[in-house]
Amino acid sequence: MRAGRQRLSRDERLAYLILLPALGAVFVIVTIPFVLVIIQSLSNEDGSFIGFVNYSRALGNPLLYEAIKATGVYAVIVLPIEILLGLSFSVLVHRTVRRPGLRAAIYVLAILPLVVPPVAIGVIARLIYAPGYGVLNVILERWGLMHGQEINWLGDPTLAMLAVASVDVWQWTPFVYLVFFSGLQTVPRESVEAAQIDGAGWWAQFRYIDLHYLRPLFILIIVFRLADVLRVFDHVFILTGGGPGTATQLLSLYMYRVEFKFFDSGQAAALAVVVLVSFSLLYTFIARVLPLERA
Amino acid sequence: MRRSPAFILRSALATVALGAAGVLYGFPLYWLFVTSLKSKGELFASSVHLIPHNPTFAAYSSVLIDRGFWVLLKNSVIVCFSTVVVTLVVGLVITYPITRLPVPARLRVGVLNWALSLRFLPPIAVVIPYFAIVRTLQIYDQPIALIGIYSLFNLPFAIWMLKGFLSEIPLELEDAALVDGATRWIAFRRVLLPLAAPGVMAAGIIIFTFAWSEFLFALILTATPNAQTFPVGVQGLVTQFEIIWNDMAAAGVIAMALPLILMVIGRNYIVAGLTFGVIREK
Repeated sequence: MRAGRQRLSRDERLAYLILLPALGAVFVIVTIPFVLVIIQSLSNEDGSFIGFVNYSRALGNPLLYEAIKATGVYAVIVLPIEILLGLSFSVLVHRTVRRPGLRAAIYVLAILPLVVPPVAIGVIARLIYAPGYGVLNVILERWGLMHGQEINWLGDPTLAMLAVASVDVWQWTPFVYLVFFSGLQTVPRESVEAAQIDGAGWWAQFRYIDLHYLRPLFILIIVFRLADVLRVFDHVFILTGGGPGTATQLLSLYMYRVEFKFFDSGQAAALAVVVLVSFSLLYTFIARVLPLERA
Repeated sequence: MRRSPAFILRSALATVALGAAGVLYGFPLYWLFVTSLKSKGELFASSVHLIPHNPTFAAYSSVLIDRGFWVLLKNSVIVCFSTVVVTLVVGLVITYPITRLPVPARLRVGVLNWALSLRFLPPIAVVIPYFAIVRTLQIYDQPIALIGIYSLFNLPFAIWMLKGFLSEIPLELEDAALVDGATRWIAFRRVLLPLAAPGVMAAGIIIFTFAWSEFLFALILTATPNAQTFPVGVQGLVTQFEIIWNDMAAAGVIAMALPLILMVIGRNYIVAGLTFGVIREK
């Protein structure tokens, strides 16, 4: 008994001996940039302390609010479409496709867009939307849907936003599909059969059984997709570069421009601090609603 | 099986929907590939050809050799491979004690939550201070700068995936080795690691593809072919004034080829990875 307890405490000591240096190192590496960015946000170009000037410049810049608006519009277009399409597809495949081979094939095809580099997807989108070589206009013309003047998909603010959003929908709807589809596999067969015996139709089954089991996944998808929308950069950078004007200049593109095009590192640092602080506040909320296993 | 009219209707609907999805996903990829096979002359033909008339691999050699992009490809491989090694080692060092050794539950949950919070960090807000550090350390435009930040950003994912794999292996297997007089290290190397190998490999493959796709950090932290990764090169082709469509398309095909191949191997773990193990594919 005593020997056993001694081994336990030795194991526990070993755990701390391994864990603490590793966690400590990662913690320091993560923390240094935070400290640095706070110092940078409070100083002048030459390093002298100037208080909150950078913050008032950053928060007083109308371009910031345009970027927030563009990000919001992007999220509002992209999230409902992805969720609706992903959900419909998952229910459709779950109910109608029975052959395991076909299911496996759909699964593999659905994960492929998720691993295509966003830069490559930006290239594809350009081959589709760009003036001149863009194949969308070619197809529209051959089908007789467009006459004479070609549509400038990337030159009009609204169309450019839709083009950029369509890329997101293309890449991420399969993710939503996969999450919902595996959620549907957890619906107990008994409750479905019981409902069928009671005469529940297709819609009733979906509304009262499937949706019940999928509910936690909605939160998961919205949280993960929102986090990703806030970091969207690559395909927009390739496709429109934020333009025309600032129509598709999402938050991360805006911050990139402030630091690396306007070389205003004070303002960029202040923005970074604001974003990191709002992110931390948001995260404490997110952590509570996420349905993660924590064992 | 009962074949009611409703079932047939639903099957028809499913066929149409899947067919439409097939076209919407297939055609863009087809167009990318077909464009990469066109010759310069065909690109500037008066009408756009949906099927190439004289397919050629000229664009590929133009991109890889004439433009010297094979160097960027090499950089990408070096950076991604190093990232995988660093991330997996640090990931194992952190997950081994919290899954195999008796630590308080609060510590375990704390570590996992902290890792999860890193997953939601906005990269652009982190890269601004990281850029300052990189310049101070004089590792700007060096692969090591990328390896560092890629490892940091993939670590949360590695921790959650490895934790899942390690906790599925019964503690008794290691205990048996320990009772036989093996040290912890031997038990880890000879018993745990071989059993966890498929999972560790899968995590490695997925981290590799994430790092392979990364663009923002590479754009900011590199400037020359000394450290530039392939996606940065692809971007360079796109924003030029005169766009060479076939070269751009060939670069796009090359950029997506490796992740697609790797994903066929790691397919069973990708969804679990992207959702931090909430969704387990069986």
